[in-house]
Amino acid sequence: MKTGSRTEPRAAPPPSLSFEELFLKHWGSIYQHLVRMIGDPAEAEDLALETFFRLYRHLPMSGEGDNPGGWLYRVATNLGLRSIRSFKRREKYEMAAGKGALEEVSESRPAVILEKKEQHLLAHLALAKMNPRRAELLVLRYSGMSYKEIAEALDLSPASIGPLLLRAEREFEKIYCALDQEEE
Amino acid sequence: MKKHLNDGQLRAALDGELEEAGMVHLVNCSTCQARQNEIQSTMQQAARSLSFLTDPAPTTGPAAETALNQYHQRNHNRKEIPMFKKIFASPLVRVGLAFVLILVVVLSVPSARALADEFLNLFRIQQVVVVPVDFTGIRQLTGNDPLGKEVSDLISSSMTSRQEPGNPVTVADAAKASQLAGFTVRVPQGMTPSRISTVGAAAFTLKIDVAKAQALLDESGRPDLVLPPSIDGADVSVTIPASVSVAYGTCPDPASQDTDNGFDSKGSAGRRYPDCVILAELPTPTVAAPADLNIAQLAQIGLEFTGMTSEQAAAFTQTVDWTSTLVIPLPKNAATYQQVPVDGVTGTLIQRPADDVPQYVLLWVKNGIIYAISSLGTDSEQAIQMANSLH
Repeated sequence: MKTGSRTEPRAAPPPSLSFEELFLKHWGSIYQHLVRMIGDPAEAEDLALETFFRLYRHLPMSGEGDNPGGWLYRVATNLGLRSIRSFKRREKYEMAAGKGALEEVSESRPAVILEKKEQHLLAHLALAKMNPRRAELLVLRYSGMSYKEIAEALDLSPASIGPLLLRAEREFEKIYCALDQEEE
Repeated sequence: MKKHLNDGQLRAALDGELEEAGMVHLVNCSTCQARQNEIQSTMQQAARSLSFLTDPAPTTGPAAETALNQYHQRNHNRKEIPMFKKIFASPLVRVGLAFVLILVVVLSVPSARALADEFLNLFRIQQVVVVPVDFTGIRQLTGNDPLGKEVSDLISSSMTSRQEPGNPVTVADAAKASQLAGFTVRVPQGMTPSRISTVGAAAFTLKIDVAKAQALLDESGRPDLVLPPSIDGADVSVTIPASVSVAYGTCPDPASQDTDNGFDSKGSAGRRYPDCVILAELPTPTVAAPADLNIAQLAQIGLEFTGMTSEQAAAFTQTVDWTSTLVIPLPKNAATYQQVPVDGVTGTLIQRPADDVPQYVLLWVKNGIIYAISSLGTDSEQAIQMANSLH
C-alpha cells in the first residue's frame, strides 16, 4: 500500500515557481503534446487539466529535483497512453470503417490524407499493445525530448536510453507490421 | 576504441547522443556502420509512424489563463462531486448519503405527485452498478459559482432532517459494535483492527421543487432536459440505518474529514495513511417515494445531464433496476472499475490510477448489508482476501 513507486514520476517544481506560474509556463506545451498524441482536442484538454491536477497534488514533494517540465511531460504521456489504450477497440472499429471509406473513395479524393490517418491509427494501436514503459519512452523521444531530458523524466541514466529506445522501436515495429498485415 | 559498439550505442549515435570516443570509432569502423544501417531502418520506421507526435498541433487550444480558470473551476468541482468523494470517505453511512445524492443529482430531483399518496415505492439496495460519466454536464453546472451555490441551496432547502446520526462512537470489539448498530458485524479472520466505530442511524425527507430544479437545469445549459411537472411537491423519505466502520493500520479519525483527497502541509492523506484499510458495513438504506414516480424517466434525465447521449442514457436505463441498485457515477479518467467475485457475490472494485496517489474501494451487497473496503493504496488483492475471510 505504498503511495510512491519506482514508476511514479517525481514532481520537482523549483521553489521559486508557484503552481500557477508552472501552469502558465507549461500549459501550452503539455496541451499541444496531448493533442498531437491522441488527436482529440477535447480529450487532450481534459487530460492536460488532469496532468496539472496531479502536479498540484504532488507539489509537497518539491525539492526532489528541478525538472517540472519533464515530470509534466511524463504524466501527460502516461495519461495519453492510457486514453489510447482505452480507445483501442473503438479505434480498431474506426480504422476498419476508415479502410472501407478508403476503398470506396474516388481518385480525386486526397487518399494520402486517409492513408496518413490510417497510419496514425495503426501507430495508436501499436502503442496501446506495447509494454507501457517502452511506449512511454518512445512517445517522449519522438515528441522531441533529448536523452538527457528523458533520463531525468524517467529517472534513468542517459547511457541507458539508447539501448532502451532501440528495444522499444523493435517492439513497436514488430507490432505495427503485424497489425498492418492483419488489416490487409 | 577497438571494441565494436553495441546496438544501444549505435542507436544513440543516430540521434547524435553518443559520446565522442564512440563516434570516432564509428566513423572508422565499417562493421559498426553496417550494423547501424539495420538499426537505422528500424528507427526510420518508428520515426515515420510516430511523426504525428511532432506535427503542428491542429489547434492551439485554450489560452493558459483561460485553462487555469477552468482548472480552478474543475478542481472546485472535484471537491463538490459528492458521490465519488463520499464513496472513498470512511464511514459507510456516507454511502447511504451518496445514494440519496444520486437520487437528487443523477435523478435530477426525484419527485412525487400526491403528498397524500399512501402507496410508496421502497428502494432497497441489492446491487451496485458503476456508470462512467463525463464531467461536461457537471462542469457546466459548477463552472459558474453562483449557479453551483444555487444547487447546494436547493438541496439543503429541500431537506428536512428527521434523525441526526450523531458523532462516531468508538467501541471495544465487533460484538459491541453489533449490539450498538443492531446487525451482526462481520470482520476478517486473523486481522486485528486498530479501531471499530459505529455511527447512528439518520433519516431525512426531501421535498421536490420542480420549478427551481428546472430553472437550474436551464441555467446550466441543459434546457433540453425537461423535468415532468407532475413530480412537484413530492416528499422522498430516506432512512439510513446505523453503520459500522472497522479500521486496520493507521487511519484518520472517523470524526475528522481527513480522508479527503486533498493535502496540507503534512502531505496528502495517501502519504499520511499509507497502510490504512477501512471495512465499512451498512444495512441498506431505504428510500420511500410515491408509487407513480417514473424512476427510469428521471434516471434518463440525470444520465443525460452527466454527459450521456439520450440513446446511451435510454439504453443504460433499460439495464438497471432503479429500485434496488446503488448507481455510482464514476468520472471519466478519474478511476477504473471492474466486477470481481467476492464474498460469494459479485462485487465492484473501483481504483484510482496507480501512478497517481492511488485509492481503491471494493463494494458489494450481501444479505441486505452493503460492504465497502477502501484504502489509500494499490493492494486491492488484500481487500478481496479480507472480504473472502469475513465471518
